Amino acid sequence: MRVKTECCVGCGICLDYCPVGAIKLVNGKAHIVKEECTECWVCYRNKVCPNSCFEPTPLLDFAAVFKHVLSDPTETYQGTGVPGRGTEEAKTNDVTGRYRPGFYGICIDVGRPGIGVYLRDVQKITRALAKVGVAFASPEENPLSAVMTDFKTGEIREDLLDTRVLSIIVEAICPKEKLPAALAALKEVAKEIDTVFSLGIVSVWDEEQNRYLFQTLEKAGLPRPRRGKVNVGLGRPLVKF
Amino acid sequence: MTHSLHRFGPYQDEDFVWQVYHAKGINDQKVPDKLQKVIEVVKEVGSENWGDVKTGPIVCTSEETIRGRLTVQSRLRGVFTRRAQVVQFLMRMKELDLGLSVIIAGDLSEVLQACRKAGLTPHTVNYSIGVFGRADLLPDEEVLGVTSMCGHHMIAAALVERLRERVRKGNLSPQEAAKRLACLCLCGIFNPVRAEILLRGEFKKGGES
Repeated sequence: MRVKTECCVGCGICLDYCPVGAIKLVNGKAHIVKEECTECWVCYRNKVCPNSCFEPTPLLDFAAVFKHVLSDPTETYQGTGVPGRGTEEAKTNDVTGRYRPGFYGICIDVGRPGIGVYLRDVQKITRALAKVGVAFASPEENPLSAVMTDFKTGEIREDLLDTRVLSIIVEAICPKEKLPAALAALKEVAKEIDTVFSLGIVSVWDEEQNRYLFQTLEKAGLPRPRRGKVNVGLGRPLVKF
Repeated sequence: MTHSLHRFGPYQDEDFVWQVYHAKGINDQKVPDKLQKVIEVVKEVGSENWGDVKTGPIVCTSEETIRGRLTVQSRLRGVFTRRAQVVQFLMRMKELDLGLSVIIAGDLSEVLQACRKAGLTPHTVNYSIGVFGRADLLPDEEVLGVTSMCGHHMIAAALVERLRERVRKGNLSPQEAAKRLACLCLCGIFNPVRAEILLRGEFKKGGES
């Protein structure tokens, strides 16, 4: 994205709209800090400029396309066919069976809420989880997995590490017995990142699974969850475990 | 995407996100026809906002436009403000038996009660465990309560702060401010009713709902 400086009158209206604060006034004109911009196109799509000074720049390489597709929810990530940030995670688990009894899903919205994230910080998280021995989602399920070069170490393509997106989801499946180690690793890596992440733990609805999860959270010094996203099991054909 | 899961701030017990999804290659037949029926239910129950991310939310897009642009890739989402609406929605979706996945996100004590009343047992739950890392970068809880209602981050904290200031000075109605913000959240899960309350700053005793 760029601002056509010749038409910008420096009113500053657009500054309030940028979710990551990448638009600044420089010498009385709006200017987009390229490295901070996530190409979400909020400024352009919503016509926030009274003079229509925003103009998309060509997305010339994979990093630029990846950044835009992950940050603009109107785009569909072609690898998974899912709009938004490109994954269905637990929302269709009643028909996909992606998360099964005896396992927990780890679903981390990195950069959320509202801070944004460079993939170098995402790599710190994937590396930490890889050490625990979780199984990352497949590239057909999750866009981040498609740019990971080694699931055993959690490495992400080096050429993408300085790419900033609005948020991205790390997805993995964790055997029950490894959940305490995964939570400990996440608490530890949280001290090393220059952003935030929102953590979701997915479980099939089962008394024993829930009990173990809540006990494990308590032992890890984490609160019992108040919010949840509930798949009510109306999808068909219903998966059989 | 988990854009509906992690919300913050007061009045979460009056804020339910509903979603209707299909899985690619599994139950993706006749999706547009089925979603037309979902829209009928959503209108009957009175969802305060809803939409399709490819078209926009009903608060600033016509129903006709949303209906006309439904494709095999479309998913519908929206919000309710009362548990009774969730119960009615779930009961109607159960009756219709469209074979699509139905998801409700919100305060678990409320959502699970709604499932029980509708005669449904949850299949899978994604539990929100909280925020980790540089919490010092986050805006205040009132602002975060508003921005986090768009899980794709289309709403900037700076804009919420600006509109909140205008509302409190009496220069902008909370309804208009909420609508402006709701239009930025393309998939229709932004709750304009809760946003009005947060922008006005009128909280229940004790702050948290």
